[in-house]
Amino acid sequence: MAEPRIENGVVIDDTFAEAFPMKATRLIITAHNPTWAMHAATATTGFATSVIACGCEAGIERVLSPGETPDGRPGVAVLIFSMSGKELAKQIERRVGQCVLTCPTTAVYAGLDEGEPVALGRNLRFFGDGWQISKMIDGKRYWRVPVMDGEFVAEETTAVTKGVGGGNLLILARDTDTALAAAEAGVAAMRSVPNVIMPFPGGVVRSGSKVGSKYPALMASTNDAFCPALTPLAKKSELSDEVRCVMEIVIDGLTDADVSAATRAGMDAIIARGSAAGVVRLSAGNYGGKLGPFHFHLHKLLDGEGAA
Amino acid sequence: MSQACHLRLKHALPVGVDASTLLPERLATLSIDEIARLPLELGRDLVAVGDLFDISLREADGVELRFEGDCRKLHGVGRAMGEGRLVVDGPVGDQVGVEMRGGEIQVCGDAGDLAGGAMAGGRLEIGGSVGDFAASTLPGAMDGMRGGVLIVRGDAGDRFGDRMRRGVAVVHGRTGDFLASRMVAGTIALAGETGEHPGHGMRRGTLVFAGAQPRVPDTFSATHHDTRVFWALMARSLAPFGAPFDGLAARCPARVVGDLGADGKGEWMLPA
Repeated sequence: MAEPRIENGVVIDDTFAEAFPMKATRLIITAHNPTWAMHAATATTGFATSVIACGCEAGIERVLSPGETPDGRPGVAVLIFSMSGKELAKQIERRVGQCVLTCPTTAVYAGLDEGEPVALGRNLRFFGDGWQISKMIDGKRYWRVPVMDGEFVAEETTAVTKGVGGGNLLILARDTDTALAAAEAGVAAMRSVPNVIMPFPGGVVRSGSKVGSKYPALMASTNDAFCPALTPLAKKSELSDEVRCVMEIVIDGLTDADVSAATRAGMDAIIARGSAAGVVRLSAGNYGGKLGPFHFHLHKLLDGEGAA
Repeated sequence: MSQACHLRLKHALPVGVDASTLLPERLATLSIDEIARLPLELGRDLVAVGDLFDISLREADGVELRFEGDCRKLHGVGRAMGEGRLVVDGPVGDQVGVEMRGGEIQVCGDAGDLAGGAMAGGRLEIGGSVGDFAASTLPGAMDGMRGGVLIVRGDAGDRFGDRMRRGVAVVHGRTGDFLASRMVAGTIALAGETGEHPGHGMRRGTLVFAGAQPRVPDTFSATHHDTRVFWALMARSLAPFGAPFDGLAARCPARVVGDLGADGKGEWMLPA
């Protein structure tokens, strides 16, 4: 690691977050009122923290006003990322089928215009048992499936585009309280950036992982270099004694520029609180730059540059 | 730059002329002399375009063909047109825009029968009224209009949208009898009154009665479920066609389905 940089008392490591290409889509979920739209969006993006075991990474991008949705009702935009288009298509069908189709008053639409179309309502229509209605409106096909509260309207397809997954920011703090507060401030700032999600609970992950394990069956295991419990034990710890709690924010975005903007927003928010708020260092996770093509250098981001 | 071709009728046509070979994309690369030599069927005879029309060319932003004069005996204008813009500065004969696949046709006056018959794409706008079988099947065919947008600013005759399969047809005036007969899919929006037997044999598709509400036949039944999501999408789509379609979003519709006499699942939307 090269020379660190200090901003408002917080040490910024001269390192980079390493991210990977993914497949992504945006869905717009609307409902009779904001509460039910959020119920559906929350369920749809549940158990979607990591592709390691969830099949996809998903999150709520933002709440939409009625003026921003196709049917003029309150809505929520969600982003879903997966490692392949095929897996993403499977996840979309399962999640929309079980979490949106089932949720009272909802409808679902594609949230991206450009990209390869994959099924959204195309297969879910068969729930209609022959009573479903196809309707072409302004060049888009919608399916209207009779359900007990009226009809479920779903656009036939949603566009899948290339995305970027695995952007990250490590927050090294004095204790749990200060680490949590900094992480919450960082996530709040990142949520103001469009086209990104932070898929872990509350946007924060405490079990950062490294690739591989001593157990052959496991593809990932605890990031021992950043575990305070292992500071005196691990072969190569990244922590000093004053760091007693580390939190990580993982960022998925539609483009590397979006991930850059979110990372920068999170760093700015944490740095603004300063070392007096308990943050010792900001760092990032990578694999030496050999695995992922997107490198988000923390120093370059602070200088206004994007991903390398 | 592209080429715009103007064809001005030299004199009134004594009999019908098949103008289906005069398409914007075909004339776009031809000189005045080449256009003038193109053959046309005048009744049972063959004549040259130059015998009937004064021809002029000018540069334009897109491919364009414009007919000027009384074209009521000019039939098949824009048949199977694929691209470009075609304008008729007045009335036109039968079968305007039949089987068109793309581009835009604008007729400033009335059109004859079968306007937009079996059209599959593009936009056909009739400034006046149309005759019978607009947006319908061609004789002997199974499918009517199957894509694109047809706008009739005036009235329409009988059998409007017969066997229509896809696309949007909008009538600002009234229609004759048997509106949407045997309709398979697509959307017809009507501002004025309709004649007898609307929706006869209707299988699927949507009829929007934005103005006068017709008597609902015994072979149609009301559904009472919440259709506001679909209606919001439909109303937003029809709003650009102007009054009275631009105010549909605020008018919650009643919905009836049929023609149950033909085991149909077509729908009429009857906004309050």
